[in-house]
Amino acid sequence: MSTLTDFFALMIPAMVPFLLAAQGTVLSGRAGLFNVSQEGLMVLGASVGFLVSFKLESNALGLFAALAVGGIFGLIFAYTTTLLRLDQFVIGLALYFASLGLGSLLYRAVVGVTFEPPLIPTLESYPVPLLSEIPFLGEVLFDHDLVVYFAFLLSFAIYWFMYKTNAGMRFRSVGENPKSADSVGIRVITTRLWAGVVGASLMAMAGAYLPMVYTGTFTEGMVAGRGWLVIALAFLGGWRPQFVVAGAAFFAGMEVLALRAQVEGIGIPHQFVSMLPFVATLVVMVFAFRWARQPQFLGLNYDRESRLAG
Amino acid sequence: MSETTTTPPGAGPQPGEQLARTSGGTLRMAWAVVPYFVSVLLAFVAGGVVILLLGNDPFRAFESVLTTSFSTQFGLVETMHKWVAVVLCAYAFAIPLATGKFNIGAEGQLLMGATAGVAMGIVFSDLPMVVLLPVVLLAGVLAGAFWAGIAAFLLVRFQVNEILSTVLLNFVSFAFIDYVASHVWPDRGAGHPATIRVGEGALLPRLGDAPSVHAGVIVAVVVCVLVAIGMRRTATGFEMTAVGANLRASLVHGIRTSRLAGAGLVVGGALGGLAGAIEVAGVHGKMLEGMQSNFLILGIIVGLMARGNMVAVPFVAFGIAVLEVGASSMQRTAQVPVEVVLIIEALILIFVLLSDVVRDRLRGAS
Repeated sequence: MSTLTDFFALMIPAMVPFLLAAQGTVLSGRAGLFNVSQEGLMVLGASVGFLVSFKLESNALGLFAALAVGGIFGLIFAYTTTLLRLDQFVIGLALYFASLGLGSLLYRAVVGVTFEPPLIPTLESYPVPLLSEIPFLGEVLFDHDLVVYFAFLLSFAIYWFMYKTNAGMRFRSVGENPKSADSVGIRVITTRLWAGVVGASLMAMAGAYLPMVYTGTFTEGMVAGRGWLVIALAFLGGWRPQFVVAGAAFFAGMEVLALRAQVEGIGIPHQFVSMLPFVATLVVMVFAFRWARQPQFLGLNYDRESRLAG
Repeated sequence: MSETTTTPPGAGPQPGEQLARTSGGTLRMAWAVVPYFVSVLLAFVAGGVVILLLGNDPFRAFESVLTTSFSTQFGLVETMHKWVAVVLCAYAFAIPLATGKFNIGAEGQLLMGATAGVAMGIVFSDLPMVVLLPVVLLAGVLAGAFWAGIAAFLLVRFQVNEILSTVLLNFVSFAFIDYVASHVWPDRGAGHPATIRVGEGALLPRLGDAPSVHAGVIVAVVVCVLVAIGMRRTATGFEMTAVGANLRASLVHGIRTSRLAGAGLVVGGALGGLAGAIEVAGVHGKMLEGMQSNFLILGIIVGLMARGNMVAVPFVAFGIAVLEVGASSMQRTAQVPVEVVLIIEALILIFVLLSDVVRDRLRGAS
């Protein structure tokens, strides 16, 4: 196994949390909902996912539990912003705090402080028959756990939905110009509620994946800024699912490189290596903000009765 | 198109404009204050349910949350120390918010301020206090301003979203202070990344008999007064509020909006840096990993709850400081995890926001 194969084979699972959370962000965003509670929802998802997997001894149930909890938070977010028309960013921050607190609290309440942290088994890999036999590509792409395949299929599905179906076009119009969408009979509120719920579920699922693939344990710092990077990723990808996949590869590549550099020691202190993803994101943003477009009504609430809207 | 349709994010309804609609002084006060009390009460009820579900006694827990700060002098001192950092981080968030910009980087600015302060305190540790202490605090202010200045520069020059840049800079600062604490001036005996102690001259003097508060409290009070005057009585303060309240109108009237937004970020960062330097000079005497605690979150909560009213910030911050000090005592006495208090704080914030909706509906009905 060459170093290159190794690198890519590590990069693909590392992409998954970015992919799931960023596609969730994009999905909400294209309907005009700008949710910024990713970081908190990922912690909450990691905590819930871990605890359910630990207690019920099933990683699948853990993932589903995280999806459900994320959905509840997404519903709160979507309800308060679409129906009560509170500021999206402020509600997002409030939910970030709440989910952060709840995530840590649940772990503390169920597990408590232990000398040796409880472990869950990490996800098994399911090599795809035949395809995984292909040299290089097989190892890199087709020898992973099921969530990896799910994340990539989901990205494709969201792309297909948004750009190749009529419903997707109507969906996007809600984020671009809700007034026009409303005038042709598209249900703006319902669309936004669904987008908020599904988006937040995916964010929480992204969190739940972390303990299941890396350490098998839950720690409060395990999300480590990925939630914020995901928002950057959505912006950099221009809120398009297909570009988000490319962006996720970039972020995951950075992460793997930083980890490698820490383990092998390349002469520079590891702290500077761990700065790398964040600094690189800042640099890329300088260029990307010139051309990356975003939904016109991103982060803005729609008020049917307002004379100014549209 | 979008600028004309909605109020700028986060600026929210200005208290003045809300109040102008009602007549009568007491009624006006009631509309402003009652929602806060109801929100706090509801959040505590919800928190109590959580504590009950955890199998603890909510009344005992809340008793220790609310009384710790006032029952002992030690508790009061701790509360004041918390208050200093919280109020400065709240301004770090609230001042840029006045111009409609979100500074989510108080944490990073605090840490960079602490790094600069600790660097001065260690390198010039022999200097007398009259020289060294101002240098430490000033270094903190400058470092915080510089750190926020990066985000401000990217915002003004390249239109990089300030929410993302300030957050990303937080994570850069985490790694940076880890490096400083483990390679530049490490304290090997600490068992935790921390620097060696600063010289005696870099420490803030104490006021009164032990246990006593450090002089940083005075600095923070001065900052509160300056900010209140600056935002209400100066042309720059007025322009900043104008930019936040109506971007388009400000542009039309020739206010250099983007520069002002950048300036707001830098001033906010400077106060965040000051908080870091005071934490070093008053509380820890050194820099250690994790010293940022949850001041970022607390600052944002205070800033949002104060609704752009700079005079309200210190008072809200005091309430939050009481909760925070009470939280750690609650964990000791009632075995309720501190995170409960974070949830209560988030709920207070959500309920305060919801109270707007409720108030508008009540008014619409009457």
